[in-house]
Amino acid sequence: MPLTLKDIARKAGVAESTVSRALNDKPGVSEEKRKEIIQIARKHNYQPNQLAQGLAKQETHMIALLLSQLENPDYTEIIKNIERSANRAGYQIILCNTDGKPQKEKNYFELLKQNIVDGAIIVGGRLTEKNILNIVLNEEAPIVLLNRLSEEITIPSVLIDKNRGGYLAGQHLVDQGLQEIAAIMGPEDNYQESEKINGFEKALYDNDLTANPRLIKSGPLERGHGYNSFLELMEQGEMPDGFFVSHSLLAAGLTEAIKMGGYHIPGDFPIVCYGDNLISSIINPSLTIISEPLAEAAHQASNKIISLLKGETISQQISVLKPSINVRDSSLPQFKNNKK
Amino acid sequence: MAKVEFNNVTKIFDNPEGEVVAVDNANLHVRDKEFLVLVGPSGCGKTTSLRMIAGLEDITDGTIEIGNTVVNDIPPKDRDIAMVFQNYALYPHMDVFGNMAFGLKLRKFPKMEIEKRVQNAAEMLGIRNLLDRKPKQLSGGQRQRVALGRAIVREPKVFLMDEPLSNLDAKLRVQMRTELSKLHDELQTTAVYVTHDQTEAMTMGDRIVVLRDGVIQQVDDPLSLYNEPNNMFVAGFIGSPAMNFLDVRLVKEEGVYYFLDESLERGMTFRIAIPDRVLEMVPNIDEYLGEDVVFGIRPEDLVDSALAQEFDITEDNSFQADVEVVEPMGSEIYLYLKFGENDLIARVEADSDAKVGDRVKLGIDYNKMHMFDAVTEESVF
Repeated sequence: MPLTLKDIARKAGVAESTVSRALNDKPGVSEEKRKEIIQIARKHNYQPNQLAQGLAKQETHMIALLLSQLENPDYTEIIKNIERSANRAGYQIILCNTDGKPQKEKNYFELLKQNIVDGAIIVGGRLTEKNILNIVLNEEAPIVLLNRLSEEITIPSVLIDKNRGGYLAGQHLVDQGLQEIAAIMGPEDNYQESEKINGFEKALYDNDLTANPRLIKSGPLERGHGYNSFLELMEQGEMPDGFFVSHSLLAAGLTEAIKMGGYHIPGDFPIVCYGDNLISSIINPSLTIISEPLAEAAHQASNKIISLLKGETISQQISVLKPSINVRDSSLPQFKNNKK
Repeated sequence: MAKVEFNNVTKIFDNPEGEVVAVDNANLHVRDKEFLVLVGPSGCGKTTSLRMIAGLEDITDGTIEIGNTVVNDIPPKDRDIAMVFQNYALYPHMDVFGNMAFGLKLRKFPKMEIEKRVQNAAEMLGIRNLLDRKPKQLSGGQRQRVALGRAIVREPKVFLMDEPLSNLDAKLRVQMRTELSKLHDELQTTAVYVTHDQTEAMTMGDRIVVLRDGVIQQVDDPLSLYNEPNNMFVAGFIGSPAMNFLDVRLVKEEGVYYFLDESLERGMTFRIAIPDRVLEMVPNIDEYLGEDVVFGIRPEDLVDSALAQEFDITEDNSFQADVEVVEPMGSEIYLYLKFGENDLIARVEADSDAKVGDRVKLGIDYNKMHMFDAVTEESVF
């Protein structure tokens, strides 16, 4: 049984209110008695009842974590790290899957309105819309966005610069001496994908190269699109120098097709893949990866929401983190054949 | 065509302390292509009204129409509106083009269309040469233009703006006011603009809606609001410094109607005649005879009698007051005056010799004085 305030009071021979004052560093207790009470509390590893404290302060020490796509492989890292940071600050998290649907988001915001949670971190999704604006503007609720954009108002946010990631991929491939680089991308109208390809094209442009539109294959974020894109390029008679592939699922299909065709990675086709996750980690050869600082993004989002909950000013409303490149076997120059 | 119509619109908030009526049975017609300003003190319902148009607030009762369609149950994204707030978000890692375009990209607009819209908006805002700059390389005014640009590229039927200029410094605010007005002329789109600043309202609005405690007090063009306020609230809210109000009695002596203050010390009088041409417009004036009424005069309509040129100063159109503070403003002087128990402000010409401690004679322009019902506070004339 954990020690209660009452138990300490009995052991110290004082009233419960005196124990409370002593532990909360409030006046009305002699210094001698205060020390004795703190000693008893420490000795018995006294933990204040957070629920009771929360009820008194109308705080629950719970943070809702709204996830727009539970199946996104990046989310495991984000959830794990948000939870870790939150726990360290004395908060628990509740996972809420919204499937990117405004109505489901709205339902979860009821948790905020009814003080069941103190704040919310919203991960991913498209633009902020009515429900988020409503809860920020009308309820002044503590909200932090992670990888989600807001058109109308500034909401504390953490973003990862995917454009920069695309640029790093392009620059790395150019640095390997490649000129005709194919890009296997997700849907053309997907914002994140367009950011990656814009960065990739910018890198080529900065190196006096132009992205060849015939070598850019946009399609669904599925393994099959990676596989088919390679076949299409072969049918078109295109022989790119290498590949930038924007997603690990696409990379799985692409590498399979390359190998099926009897080609070698990186000897025939060096590859850079965007995204460091389980799928990209099991592809052979090991892929050069554009890695997003997901743990850092999660920590920063947690820190922002905790600052808001403590009523502290956030020095940086919008934090933008940059991806980095981990060069592995799939693009190492020593493996490259003298193909051309 | 995008007129906006409020039909008996009421908004009630359920607070733990009880119900709060934020907007009370509002009827309002915003004309197509009009720049309409909602103005009033904090808590008057102006922001709530705007948010109801935007769909950020549910409507408790009544209907709102945008372009002949009742939008009560239409989600904000389908209302064809764009909002601009003071606290707009510019993303530091995106250039100006990216900051203006991301909303369209996320809405899956075709690339060519995005390019066209952003270029057009940038041209209109004079920021075409800045499209590849990052926000930190921009001035405050340029950033504000980018935020406006993000709304413009959506080509909405109605722009909704909630104090968009209030975080700019005073000089820039004045400049942006003019630019916004010009931009509106160019865009030819209906705009509803919320501000607490009556100067902003007067300089920008085609028409102005003055709100108080959720109730529309008056909807009029700026000059009509200034010259013909419906009530004491509007009269006091519009104009700076505010209109002076004096509690007086309406009396009639030898066929002439006067405003009379009988509570004054010896040697001071306030006995201002009301000319016939004014009375002709108020057929029910006799209802007020012998009653307490409120006399209103704007600071700029009080004249230092030593300098009066536009009209003759007589006993019937002047009174004396003691100068307590003299505030030279350059082109004019504000005199803070004590008159009996009343504090008054007069905005007189810069060459006035009035000094602190002087008792000055002030003339009243007959054409500019106002009378209000002391009970209802409604304007009589």
